Amino acid sequence: MLTYLARRLAFAIATVLAASVVSFLLVHASGSTPGEITAGSGASPAQVAAENLRLGWDRPLVAQYLSWLGGAVRGNLGVSLIDGHNIWSDLMSRLPVTASIAIFATLLSGILGVAIGVAAAVRGGLLDRAVTVGSGVALSLPQFWVGILLVYLIAIKAHLLPATGYVAFGASPGQYLQSLALPVITLTVTGAAIIARTTRTGMISALRQEHIRTLHALGTPPWRIRYIHALRFAGAPVVSVLGIQFIALFGGSVVIEQLYALPGLGQAASAAIGTNDLPAVQGVVIIATVVVVITNLVLDLVLGALDPKVRTA
Amino acid sequence: MSVRSPVKTLRTGGLLSAAWLVLLLLGSLTAGWWEPYQTDAQDPAHTLASPSGSHLLGTDDLGRDVLTRIAAGSWISVGPALLAVVVAFGIGIPLALAAAEHGRLVERGSSRFAELLLALPSMVILLAFVGAVGVHPWAIMTVLGVLLSAPVYRVFLSQAQSLRTRLYVDAARVNGVSSVQVNLRHVLPAMATTIAVQAAQLFAIGVLIEAGLAFMGFGPSVPSPSWGGLIAAASQHIYDDPWLMVPTGVVLALTVIAANVLADTVLVSMGGGQRERGRASAARRATRRPARIPAGARGADGIASAEREVAPDGAAGTGELLGVAGANGGAASALAEMPGGPGGLLDVRDLTVSVDGGPSLVTGVSFGMRPGTVLGLVGESGCGKTMTALALLGLLPEGVAVTGGSIGFGDPPGDIRDLTALTVRELRAIRGREIALISQEPMVALDPMFSVGYQLTQPIRRFRSAGGHRTSRAQARRIAAELLGQVGIVDAKRVLRSYPHQLSGGMAQRVCIALALTGSPKLLVADEPTTALDVTVQAEILSLLRSLVAARGLSVIIVSHDLGVIADLADEVAVMYAGQIVESGTVASVLSQPSHPYTTALLGANPHVAEGLPVPERLASIPGTVPAAADWTTGCRFASRCALATEACAAPVPLTRAHDAGTESGTESGTATGNATGGTGTVRCIHPLRTGVSPQPLPVPHTMEPGAAS
Repeated sequence: MLTYLARRLAFAIATVLAASVVSFLLVHASGSTPGEITAGSGASPAQVAAENLRLGWDRPLVAQYLSWLGGAVRGNLGVSLIDGHNIWSDLMSRLPVTASIAIFATLLSGILGVAIGVAAAVRGGLLDRAVTVGSGVALSLPQFWVGILLVYLIAIKAHLLPATGYVAFGASPGQYLQSLALPVITLTVTGAAIIARTTRTGMISALRQEHIRTLHALGTPPWRIRYIHALRFAGAPVVSVLGIQFIALFGGSVVIEQLYALPGLGQAASAAIGTNDLPAVQGVVIIATVVVVITNLVLDLVLGALDPKVRTA
Repeated sequence: MSVRSPVKTLRTGGLLSAAWLVLLLLGSLTAGWWEPYQTDAQDPAHTLASPSGSHLLGTDDLGRDVLTRIAAGSWISVGPALLAVVVAFGIGIPLALAAAEHGRLVERGSSRFAELLLALPSMVILLAFVGAVGVHPWAIMTVLGVLLSAPVYRVFLSQAQSLRTRLYVDAARVNGVSSVQVNLRHVLPAMATTIAVQAAQLFAIGVLIEAGLAFMGFGPSVPSPSWGGLIAAASQHIYDDPWLMVPTGVVLALTVIAANVLADTVLVSMGGGQRERGRASAARRATRRPARIPAGARGADGIASAEREVAPDGAAGTGELLGVAGANGGAASALAEMPGGPGGLLDVRDLTVSVDGGPSLVTGVSFGMRPGTVLGLVGESGCGKTMTALALLGLLPEGVAVTGGSIGFGDPPGDIRDLTALTVRELRAIRGREIALISQEPMVALDPMFSVGYQLTQPIRRFRSAGGHRTSRAQARRIAAELLGQVGIVDAKRVLRSYPHQLSGGMAQRVCIALALTGSPKLLVADEPTTALDVTVQAEILSLLRSLVAARGLSVIIVSHDLGVIADLADEVAVMYAGQIVESGTVASVLSQPSHPYTTALLGANPHVAEGLPVPERLASIPGTVPAAADWTTGCRFASRCALATEACAAPVPLTRAHDAGTESGTESGTATGNATGGTGTVRCIHPLRTGVSPQPLPVPHTMEPGAAS
């Protein structure tokens, strides 16, 4: 187990390094230079060149990368070309927003999806078919479109929830939850559909396992067979998909945050790209990768805890 | 209201989906010819109009026709997603094939690469790419294709690896076909289903991501009406014209739904589905082989007492069948000859087990059992032994059910229950407590997720409640350790802590036996309990079972294809062939003086049969195979493989007293030489073999149908 963890950790670090190289190269291959932005649109080529020199853009790529990396490991991602803000602290202040949405949406998707998937697998018949069709439709709907429809129905027509905006938990826990409600519901439509499908498939195959027949042959009560033995057996793929979803939510929050005007990482990403704020783009990529990598590590641990084969290896 | 089969619904859905995608493609390619308006034709007089005759889907904020714009934007919305699929396949599949072909080293490198791609936050990478090179939908989707090649690689690697180990692929390679050609000719075609499914799913993902990017403003530049861009524009008018959201959103959603439904359809119709697959293939089997029942088969029932087929329409209800059984005088006489006789611990009469709407797998099987005895059910695979055994516990697989007969269980003169008439709840009370099961594959019979200790103490606490309250955890653990000791496990403590994957096969089977003993059952049903084990372990398990029978007075039904196992353990034996009992009696009489040609053939095929038994030829195989259930006839079902078969064998053959039945047709040489056990057995053959006769030549079928049963 320990060597397994060590290997996963080494791979995680490698992934982050790879992402940093990719984003670094992308920024440098883009053809635009930081000087063009800091010097302003009316600047002469000489002024731009001077700015680039000041920002160290002329140094060898490897040297630039290493100094960026040296800063990054100490939590220094440089400053924004646009407003001069510290990128690290800006992203850290946005992290709670994205994390809140991702965590709530993952939890809600997990609870709803497992409940629906188990019900479909166990009950079968019409319910099963309704779930299959319904989840198939739900996971095919574009999230931003669902989001706008929800805004129209719940915020504009019914006035139940605020359409956009974000209130920090510290400011008002009640409004914090209200401001998260619509984005979380939007993401849960797709999320719960995917989890329900995974759970349903897993449960159906689990209930056909031979060890389940052994339990039946011992007169085991059905609830115990379903919810302790079969669900546990079906659990691993469901947990994996939940992890993948969490990652997708973190990365995919870009669209949702734009839609609901939430000041999260995704908004920072699209703003940085829209304004060619090169160090900020690099920063977002690296933070997003770290989140993904940490999620994967947690996922490995959870899967290990679920599966005795991994745990006792 | 009748519910249509899910497969049928899905197939309709698949057709509709394909139609939609084709329509979309044609519509976008021919948009220039049928569009009622210019893509950018503005009509200031009719802005944000609702659908009408002149504008079928209404107009946008500049008075442009929505239908026209959706059609004009379809290629730029869908095309890049297709490109992503092509790129993902173009990288992923060759990489997977190469990794499967060249083994560890290449595989390691490419798998790490794939893992790395998978670990990157793809949306953010895409955005970073947009930031670097600007908004170019085709280029962006190429990058997405690269990112998606990782999951493609993973899926195809595992498939390619398993395909390459297949015999025909190996054969091609041995024959000197080049590796590229092996891949093109054998591996890729076998992957066609997966390719189709993956393509549809990736296309759906691509369309959604492309639309998301366009929605955020990272799509095709403004005048070009991509769907994501159209939705973004519509969202600006959510307050004054919410309708504008609907058409584009629905078209986009339908496209993605169509792709996903298409993927599901391909998956299910190619046999990769889950629940649907079981039903579909059962249905296919049933339709492919309609039950061939000669007209008037039922009329001939006077002789064929125990022979019952499902009615041709497959709708034979239990009640009807029971009625037939009641009217069947012949059954009782045969029953009297059954091993154990009627009125023992178990009294199975005329048991029929059928596939829902399909053929019967067990037809009119009757046998009895006295307490403390071991009954062997023997025969080749597909003869209904396991179905008979599982029917006792009410544990028949999904789609298979008892459709006739009764299973009387209990100590006479105490209460005797018909197990086929019990509710699920009542059955549950019997399972484990009175009848327990040991199955064929001990390694999969235990739950891999739980420790042996947990799996044993759970039923112990349920079964052995002392004075109304449940057994304590510690007590249950003590009992579990005791039980493990009784099944010959020395270090019970360690085994209790272990998980199934840490046990050897023999150890796991011992644990399974201990598990079956937790409820102190009267009857143990052992379904091929030693088949999956090493030969030396087999002997140990058999001797364990024998000692349990002796020590606990257990009754055991042992199902096996191995006459050696039966000879070792059983008191009585019933030989099954094609859903019927063809011969039964004490082990001593049946094995030493087999009457049915099938029994003789089985003996001949068995390497473990002791010397001195009347085996025609050592280690001969029985020609032909067991016919499929749908092809079973009302006559002797072994006739097609039997050397002794005559035309008379086409008529129904009743079970008769062994060594008597033959006398009427006793044209064969010699009369029954004094056999002491003659009265106890039954046989279903009109010209049974005699012992004392010189060994019969190997049965050579005169109407052999190679591969008659598929």
